[in-house]
Amino acid sequence: MTLTITGDVAARPKRASWYPYLLIAPTMITLCVVSLVPFIYAVYLSFHSAKYGRVTDFIWFDNYKALISNPDFWNSMYVAGIFVAIAVPIEFMLGMAGALVLSKGVKGRSILVPLLFIPTMMAPIVVGLLWKIMLAGSWGVLSYNVIERFNIVSGTSIFASEQYALYALIFIDIWQWTPFMMLAFFAGLQALPQGPYRAAAVDGAGAFQIFFRLTMPLMAPLLFVIGLLRFIDAFKVFDTIFILTRGGPGTATESPSLLAYKMTFDFWNIGEASALAVFVWLIFFIACNVFYQIAKKKLNAF
Amino acid sequence: MNNSTPLGTFFRTAIAVICALTILFPVIWMVSMMFKPADVMFARPTQFFFSPTLANFDYVIAQGFLSNLVTSLLLGVISTAMVVVIGTPAAYAFARFEMKKKDDLFLFILASRMAPPVCLVIPFYLIYAKIGLLDTFVGLSLAYMTFNLSFYVWVLRSFCRDLPVELEEAAILEGWSKPQVFWRVVFPLLRNGIVATSVLCFIFAWNEFLFAFMLGGSSVQTLPVAIPKLITAQGVRWGEVAVVGVVSLAPVLAVVVLLQRHIVRGLTMGAVKG
Repeated sequence: MTLTITGDVAARPKRASWYPYLLIAPTMITLCVVSLVPFIYAVYLSFHSAKYGRVTDFIWFDNYKALISNPDFWNSMYVAGIFVAIAVPIEFMLGMAGALVLSKGVKGRSILVPLLFIPTMMAPIVVGLLWKIMLAGSWGVLSYNVIERFNIVSGTSIFASEQYALYALIFIDIWQWTPFMMLAFFAGLQALPQGPYRAAAVDGAGAFQIFFRLTMPLMAPLLFVIGLLRFIDAFKVFDTIFILTRGGPGTATESPSLLAYKMTFDFWNIGEASALAVFVWLIFFIACNVFYQIAKKKLNAF
Repeated sequence: MNNSTPLGTFFRTAIAVICALTILFPVIWMVSMMFKPADVMFARPTQFFFSPTLANFDYVIAQGFLSNLVTSLLLGVISTAMVVVIGTPAAYAFARFEMKKKDDLFLFILASRMAPPVCLVIPFYLIYAKIGLLDTFVGLSLAYMTFNLSFYVWVLRSFCRDLPVELEEAAILEGWSKPQVFWRVVFPLLRNGIVATSVLCFIFAWNEFLFAFMLGGSSVQTLPVAIPKLITAQGVRWGEVAVVGVVSLAPVLAVVVLLQRHIVRGLTMGAVKG
């Protein structure tokens, strides 16, 4: 990681010309077609009565009102909230611990590092299948040897348990993303300036003091940016839940993505689903904006 | 941080290896499932040793999964190629030139990357149903642009910024035209970045499920979407599920070995230059 600024200001032609606009034109046109048009269409639908594929009357904010008074909507926000609130801090702590161990010196790092990327780079749908195999009712290697032995859930698969299904999904998310956090934090640690550490060593600071008063503040913007990306991802999570629980049992694991999917393709209530989509979009847009500002100003990354 | 003793290194290595094996155990288990006969698979208590069989592979081939594999590969290559052609000049422009409202334009690109796919798939489905793009390579490649084109431009830009500008300045002083500078100076230097970023795009397309599931169909059916074929009325064919899972993992394994340095940068949208 480099923290130096090159580029932009020092960059080529002093006067603005049409050339850069020509270079970005294909990308901008494509993105307008594939992401701005669908967004505008979703906004349009969210203001209309659209059920069973037929768009009828313009009804102002009725879809949004229906959404806000829909208990499933609040349930999905709750599910996403619990998901983020448990998964992300645990991933952070385990990731940071792992990164510190790695940066202290480990033999065979060049073999270890690529292996650690596997869970993160796997298709989410395969991650789902993998854990379906591990946690299959009665014969799955983990359900037989761990879950049944300690009587956590008996008889069925953990994904059929109203009480534990969400925690099983959170566990899978932690499994999938902790190794990545470890490697991202490790990259961040490698890039820290050495000067302050020498000064701290001269002053006789202890390991804890160095970590909390030096490493953490230096890493703060990076931690924030990665945390924000994970926050966004956790709201987006769809494939794993879809293949493992389909949001069930009941609505116990119904994230906003699952709810929007069900509203659209199970109930064909397109108007309200679009209202939900627009709502989630707005949250995301704010999160993106914050991500961009922090990454640009504090990390000089862009 | 240079107070490490050989004993300390040994312990840390031991901890790291144990953690890595724990993390990878499910993957190793899935690989072993490929060769398991059915009676061993469902055995209680778990049987760790068995005589391997290739029966699971036969069924997967008989079910026509090879055509799904080809579809996945084709779609990945087509959509990635489109992204590279359209996105490379934009990444260069964003790294090198002053533009009005550049921040806003760039934020627009980031926002299209961040949008939750399920929000996009609703309007996409309705629009495609009207204009007949459902179940076509063009339709799915376009849909993949929403996340891959923005990702590509965003990450490749951070590679562009790492290039020294002096070479381009020298070429301009030599009297080269701007397209010449791009093709003969920037493009060759950027080749590694282009390869790394586009391979990540390929993996995202390869792994994608929701768009392929909703906007695809019987003629464009990717590997992840075909998996439900193994969930039959007689129950789930777990051994075959493991085979398909491992096959879809293969390119990912190749990528993590070859591109490990660039994955962190890619997945943090360039915020960490691993």
